[in-house]
Amino acid sequence: MKIIKLYQNQIIFRETKTHYVVGVNGKPRKILPEIDPVYDSDSSTENPINSVGNIPMEWYDDYPHIGYDIDGKKIMKPAKGDELDKFLENMEDPDSWMSAKDNLLQQNVKLTDEELEIIRRIQMGSFPEKDFDPYEPTIEWFTGKPEVMPLNATPEPKRRFIPSKWEAKRIMKIVRAIRQGRIVLGKSQVQKPRFYNLWSEDDKSREEHPMHIPAPKMKLPDHDESYNPPAEYLLTDKEKEEWEEMDPDDREKNYIPQKYSCLRNVPAYNRFIQERFNRCLDLYLAPRIRKNKLNIDPESLIPKLPNPKDLQPFPTSLTLSYDGHTDRVRCISIDPTGLWLISGSDDKTIRLWEIITGRCVKTWEIEDIVYSVAWCPIREVCAFIFSCSNKVGVILPTDICDDEVALSTSQYVTNGFNSKRNDEKVKLVEWMKPSDEQNKNGILLFIQHTHDKTIKQVTWHRKGDYFSSIAPDAGNQGILIHQLTKHQTQQPFRKTRGIIQCVRFHPIKPLFFVATQRYVRVYNLMKQELTKTLQPGVKWISSLDVHPMGDNVIVGSYDKKLCWFDLDLSQRPYRTLYYHSKAIRNVVYHKRLPLFASCSDDGSIQIFHGMVYNDLLQNPLIVPVKILKAGHQIVDSLGVLNCEFHPIQPWIISSGADHTIKLWT
Amino acid sequence: METSQEIQVQVRFVTKQTEYAVTDTPMIVPAKLKRYGLSEIINHLLGFEKPLPFDFMIDNLFLRTSLLEYLENSGLSTENIITIEYVESMLPPTPLSSFQHDDWISSVKIFNQRYFLTGSYDNHVRIWNTSGECLQTFIGHNAPIKSVSWISVKDDEEFTFLSASQDRTIRAWRSSLEHNKYISLYECIGHKGSIESIAVSPSCSEFASGSWDSSIMLWTMEIPENSDDDEHIKIQTSSKRRKVIKKEKILTKYPIATMNGHIGAISSVVFDDKDNNKLYSGGWDHSIRIWDVESRTNVDVKNCDKVVYGISYSGKSGLIASGHSDRIIRLWDPRAEDVAVVKLTLSSHKNWVTSVSWSTKNSFMLVSGSYDGTVKIWDIRSRTPLYTLSKQNGDKGKENENDTPKKIFCVDWDQDIILSGGEDNQLHIYGSKKIGFTKSEEEGKL
Repeated sequence: MKIIKLYQNQIIFRETKTHYVVGVNGKPRKILPEIDPVYDSDSSTENPINSVGNIPMEWYDDYPHIGYDIDGKKIMKPAKGDELDKFLENMEDPDSWMSAKDNLLQQNVKLTDEELEIIRRIQMGSFPEKDFDPYEPTIEWFTGKPEVMPLNATPEPKRRFIPSKWEAKRIMKIVRAIRQGRIVLGKSQVQKPRFYNLWSEDDKSREEHPMHIPAPKMKLPDHDESYNPPAEYLLTDKEKEEWEEMDPDDREKNYIPQKYSCLRNVPAYNRFIQERFNRCLDLYLAPRIRKNKLNIDPESLIPKLPNPKDLQPFPTSLTLSYDGHTDRVRCISIDPTGLWLISGSDDKTIRLWEIITGRCVKTWEIEDIVYSVAWCPIREVCAFIFSCSNKVGVILPTDICDDEVALSTSQYVTNGFNSKRNDEKVKLVEWMKPSDEQNKNGILLFIQHTHDKTIKQVTWHRKGDYFSSIAPDAGNQGILIHQLTKHQTQQPFRKTRGIIQCVRFHPIKPLFFVATQRYVRVYNLMKQELTKTLQPGVKWISSLDVHPMGDNVIVGSYDKKLCWFDLDLSQRPYRTLYYHSKAIRNVVYHKRLPLFASCSDDGSIQIFHGMVYNDLLQNPLIVPVKILKAGHQIVDSLGVLNCEFHPIQPWIISSGADHTIKLWT
Repeated sequence: METSQEIQVQVRFVTKQTEYAVTDTPMIVPAKLKRYGLSEIINHLLGFEKPLPFDFMIDNLFLRTSLLEYLENSGLSTENIITIEYVESMLPPTPLSSFQHDDWISSVKIFNQRYFLTGSYDNHVRIWNTSGECLQTFIGHNAPIKSVSWISVKDDEEFTFLSASQDRTIRAWRSSLEHNKYISLYECIGHKGSIESIAVSPSCSEFASGSWDSSIMLWTMEIPENSDDDEHIKIQTSSKRRKVIKKEKILTKYPIATMNGHIGAISSVVFDDKDNNKLYSGGWDHSIRIWDVESRTNVDVKNCDKVVYGISYSGKSGLIASGHSDRIIRLWDPRAEDVAVVKLTLSSHKNWVTSVSWSTKNSFMLVSGSYDGTVKIWDIRSRTPLYTLSKQNGDKGKENENDTPKKIFCVDWDQDIILSGGEDNQLHIYGSKKIGFTKSEEEGKL
């Protein structure tokens, strides 16, 4: 490099002659001489420099050139003589010992003196460079000697004096690992031998492994496998024949006992290979698993419930069928004495039945589908109410009641016509007298609602004076409470929340249960306030009933659940029963016995024992006791539409979509 | 096994029927014998040319298997002497005829095997004779008849009887065949519910009625004097329709006594057939009550846990039989002191047993009718029914329909005739001449 730089200096100092020509502007223009870069003096430019780089030169063996110069022109191979020429050349040239082959140029180059000097020095084992002095005096730039004066005057920082947070963290990590047992102190690592004998002879038991399953032991030989078994073990000819005929898989033993007089007569065992093979197959192919036995008594998992047999009486079997309706029977009601039954149907009739014989005593033709019927709960009044379209009617079944009772009932129902007041602000209903024809049939009264929505349910207050009618589609007028003796109607709620499904009066207190689609709200009618909201957690409530003692409520839902609420306990269900396979249509309590039932679209009625104790601390006892099936047929995916318990006996009456009513006792 | 044919047992034959008595010395018979073989032996001993069938009892239970099987089952030794009682066997009752009605039959009663009284749900009472003629139809009640009872028949011409109806009245009727006329003697008013049962005392001096209003009322047989104020009450209370129908004037009668005690409906009342003073009643309150008629008091109560429907008392055996809603017939001894002692239960019916009736000839036999459509004849010495009479035996075509069986509401058994009536609107008559063992039976007119 130094050399090149020298040449460049030379370029700068070179002097040349100056020429002038007339320029475009008419003035003389100096023509500067061409600069000669003097490349030819550079050793690197003496020969065209091969630019192929450091590659194996054999790649160019088959080509006429040996590479490319910087301009991309081929560098042709220098002419090369054969081995003899080479030898002669070596012989003739006195300097041949001083030349070396330049691989890149594929020719011998004569080494300079300096290069020879370097070679010589390397051969001597000294430094290649002549001027290099290995023994220069040491200059101590950095020393271990403490300085008297500090290099700077900053004071020691605070972190040098406080314990390190990061160190503490790392220590704690170790401490935690020790506490958790990941690091065991004082445990010396057992040095495993680096090599061990894979094929060691001693058959040591395997290391204890949790999943190890020992192979099953082979069966020990029997008496009849002896070479000389007692005579009774030998097969008779007949048995032998049987054994031959049998399929090899069916044989009890896969050999025939043989008798030999002495041991040396025993031939070689001919099934040895086969048995070994089978044994191997068994060990290799037969899957074996370790079964962990749960040590739990299965009895203890079952809740302690009394035997249903001890909880009798409850209905167990189908006794009677009441046939006569020609369409699905939507509603039934049993009179308080338990002797008569009324049923309302889609065939637009109401029928009166004698319960114990199944006799249809009377049929009333109504102008529309009868959605609900209900007997008056007091025995002094022999009448029932029914609902069809937007009307509620009162019927006195004259055939079955005493003359005196009939008269008093008639007066009880129709007295209100005399004391009629017309000071109502908004007319909700019209109390109407029926026509003479209807009156002859026992219809005493009609209540025509001003809204034109269908009334789906009518239900009595226990005293037989008030009753409620429900029309889910009628908005704010959906719930109305009527007073029969005074012919008055009131709307208990200015606004109703949600779609009303079902309502009930409390049997003792002035409470009113309203079931909407999701919730059951309990209102106090005296104080006019919301007492409680029950949250069954079901999607669509279908029915509701209140226990005769008044502290428990059951709710049935279209999503197959039955919820039992203890009103004192919580707003959530005390128990949710999920036994039906289809929607529950109705739930009902028995008036006297500790029974309740649910009927469903799956065609079954389920009877439960539901004991409520007087002791407040004891929770109700709920035991499923009976499923009544095979009574009602399922028509259009509707099964049992309604059910009601007999007021006195442990009987249940159910009505279905198959047009029948059934009595179960 | 071959040896069992040779097993022999010592038996001694005894009978209470003196005309068939044989020697009571023990004899050896093969143990494989069944009823037929034993019957042959008895016939042989008696020397009958025309063999009579006999039935055999050991320890008051009918022998229904071979002797050996019986001994094995009861764990007795074959070496002891067995005492076998025998009675003349009965042939199954033969269905004689059935008389079509217009509606369900709720009540039947026989008089002297010749006249049959039926009450029907079409509000009419009918009298039939054995040849299937309806002698007379009595129209007057406004609601289905629930119970009928004979009072007397005079010279086969003049009938007197009672009928009770759901219209809460009892009517006494008198009719004479000769003039083909009938009159309603009087109407008994007092009950507030459907009258389910009436019973006439053995002396025919008074009768009792049981009603759904849970009271039992006692009435005398005398025909009352008419009084105007009765009519007055009637006009006031009765609804218009009933008044329109009633044209003839009927004498009105009131009960001499009302006996309350039952809680809930009464389904059946029956007099002791020897004692005028004893009345038995069964009701929905699961009790059978014994009443002293004279003092109008409830003497005894017997409780079970199922509804009582029909009851029947037999003077011969002194037992009450009752049909229940749990398909069982219970037998009670009214003389026993305990509150609830069921002497025996008979179960074979498949539905409610609504009516029972003791045989008048035999102290062990009774007939029962049930909602499962069958009439069963029982001997209380055997736990299984002797015979089952099913309506469907008559016409086979009906069996295929797989219908619900036609309910039977009433049965009655007098001497050699068994009656049953029910939902199929037919009065069925069965001859049971061969049932029972009195020889002195007269030739029936059937």
